[in-house]
Amino acid sequence: MVTDKGIRRLRIRHETRVSYAQAAVSSHNEVRMTPLTLPGQTTLDGRVTVGPAAATWSYWDYWGTQVTGFDLMDPHSDLTITASSLVETAPPGPLPGPPGWAEVAERTARSRLLEFAIPTARTTVPAELIAHAREVTAGLDPHETAVAVSSLVADRVSYLPGTTGVNTSAAEAWEQGTGVCQDIAHVTIALLRGLGLPSRYVSGYLHPEKEAELHRPVAGQSHAWIEYWAGDWCGYDPTNRTRADESHVVVGRGRDYDDVPPHKGVYRGVAGGPPEVTVEFTRVA
Amino acid sequence: MADIFDAYALADAWDEMFVRPGEVRTAYEPVLAALQPIAPSELRFRADQMARSFTDRGVTYAFAGEERPWPLDLVPRILDALEWDLIQRGVGQRVRALEAYLADAYGPCRAFEDGVVPWRLLLNSPHFHRVTHGIEPPGGVRIHVAGIDLVRDEAGDFRVLEDNVRVPSGVSYVIENRRAMTRIFPSLFAEQHVLPVDGYGHRLLAALRAAAPDGTADPRVVVLTPGPNNAAYFEHALLARLMGVQLVEGHDLLCRNNRVWMRTTRGEVPVHVVYRRLDDDFLDPLHFRPDSVIGCPGIMSAAMAGNVTLANAVGNGIADDKLLYTYVPDLIRYYLSEEPVLPNVESYRPDEPEQLEAVLDLIEQLVVKPVDGAGGQGIVIGPKADPDTLERTRKAVIANPRGFIAQRPVALSTSPTLAGERMAPRHIDLRPFAVHDGNDVWVLPGGLTRVALQEGNLIVNSSQGGGSKDTWVLAEGPAERPASVGSGDLPEVAPRQLGPDGTTTVVQEGAQQ
Repeated sequence: MVTDKGIRRLRIRHETRVSYAQAAVSSHNEVRMTPLTLPGQTTLDGRVTVGPAAATWSYWDYWGTQVTGFDLMDPHSDLTITASSLVETAPPGPLPGPPGWAEVAERTARSRLLEFAIPTARTTVPAELIAHAREVTAGLDPHETAVAVSSLVADRVSYLPGTTGVNTSAAEAWEQGTGVCQDIAHVTIALLRGLGLPSRYVSGYLHPEKEAELHRPVAGQSHAWIEYWAGDWCGYDPTNRTRADESHVVVGRGRDYDDVPPHKGVYRGVAGGPPEVTVEFTRVA
Repeated sequence: MADIFDAYALADAWDEMFVRPGEVRTAYEPVLAALQPIAPSELRFRADQMARSFTDRGVTYAFAGEERPWPLDLVPRILDALEWDLIQRGVGQRVRALEAYLADAYGPCRAFEDGVVPWRLLLNSPHFHRVTHGIEPPGGVRIHVAGIDLVRDEAGDFRVLEDNVRVPSGVSYVIENRRAMTRIFPSLFAEQHVLPVDGYGHRLLAALRAAAPDGTADPRVVVLTPGPNNAAYFEHALLARLMGVQLVEGHDLLCRNNRVWMRTTRGEVPVHVVYRRLDDDFLDPLHFRPDSVIGCPGIMSAAMAGNVTLANAVGNGIADDKLLYTYVPDLIRYYLSEEPVLPNVESYRPDEPEQLEAVLDLIEQLVVKPVDGAGGQGIVIGPKADPDTLERTRKAVIANPRGFIAQRPVALSTSPTLAGERMAPRHIDLRPFAVHDGNDVWVLPGGLTRVALQEGNLIVNSSQGGGSKDTWVLAEGPAERPASVGSGDLPEVAPRQLGPDGTTTVVQEGAQQ
């Protein structure tokens, strides 16, 4: 059943499997895979389980993201992390009336918004690139600027998995002209910050089918997009050139990927192949 | 008969011992009387004896790539009861204000909302460790140990030069200096009542135990060192010994179920308070530098969960940034509603555009300091710098105004120091050490007096070739004797446990698609 307000209910199952070439020990991990409850998004259920079995603990970090931690001290040949959640999402409301640039600058300097206007190591791009973005967006308001910069980036950086890694910076992705959603988000953020518009990195999920059939699982991926501040935070997905909507499920927001990695861990051992990740979406209402 | 103080010419600064040539300050009368009759060759002999004793005990420091005996000058630096009262109150006030700032910056951020300190100071700082968000330190203490560097200006007024609230070091030299002086010059102590410094270990242990997670009946404290290759290893070992607690390296600890344990020959035993002498960045490869092998993976998670207390707290670097220093007098008024007991040295903030211009105009008259420099590194003293250095500094400040402060050059006070076979005035500073147990900020009577051994030099850090002096605080009445600390019976640390052959610490992260 689809409710009249366009609210949908999604079940998400995110499984990460890591195999080790030689048994791992002293493994310490953090997982950020539980969707937030926000205006327009309600998390009805969220769980993270680990195999081999481990006690987990959870806390909300500085960025407001729910974190699940665990350690595995004894030797293990593989690690499976399963994050399951049930989330209701609603279509986004109307965009706030765009503030003037002077107001944005004033509010940024005098509040915590500044945090999202300072370049990080990953979101530093050459000054010429910012100058170019400034020309392209001359005379535009903050909303129009976010869309124009996103297009500029998506035109230049084509979506091509496997060409970048988790540690790729915005400058590198722009230079090579290919990347994944993470890179496209980083470059967009770097340019918007360069233009004085506070913007942040969003980690989450994207339901791949807009009009999905109920109860039929579909394969998807974890996803990254951006939010910029124009009187309020507004979501935009530069990879798909669209506003973030009821297909987007927010897990965490930070200055860049490093503030919200879905899984982060250290262990002693020898790495195997890359982790196998599957994300499955089932629309249940 | 000529003595070592003959021809002692005062420099253009406040002299600690002499009001004017031949007129000694009251507090120094007995010391002068005791030193004057000693022949220069005899003094040199005692100085050499002291150096050998330091080398034998491993009390050394690294200078220009070699280990040298700790340089202790034979003339003590004396603070009378009145001077000490001022210093003690000033240091205590400073620590209380910085504690309030840390609690605010990692909490409600009132000072930023109220415009007392600009947001950028916090949000731009590489030491603002957001990972500590939500930690409620037991007793509200983040600064368990502070070292507040003081100088005495031309008028004889004490001023704060910088605050150290991360991993302040040097207290072992205070203790070793006193030990050496009482051996080499026992007679000097006969005339005056000098407050003892050997209560430090007791006070520190009490403060660390008080900082244990709530509900810990008998907290176990350890000292965490980066290891024997660290320049301050001697100090780490000494503090562990004085407190009667275990000295450990990262691999002696492990985190299981989000709690910290120490490996011992009797198995794993829980640890509640870690007096860590490692910088934040190396503490935990999960949360900080992933390539650190000297920390303990998971220890930060355990601290966040309130299962262990790290002392000093992670993230204190936002409070001893030299740019923040310029705001401390305002913070004292804002948080404590008090006037600063000890003033700052007059400073400029190139971070503010008008002040940047002033700094660039006056650069040859100012001292320019990197906000993050330690050990006197990167300091440019305008009046003594050559034009090339000034130009380089000017460019560096323009490129990164947030990275520097500028100060009026202060002619640090001088103290007679043995140079060859005579006494000569040399510039000194003072680092008193404060211990905060949640109720009280206690200041160790004395502190580390550092001496710039070269004539005219104003940089006193030992890493820059400085020396030191035993620092005496005179008491009016009888001094309190600290209660002795039982060493207890301690389990031995198990031998280092290595991973299976060929294993290394690896970072795992999933990319987003």
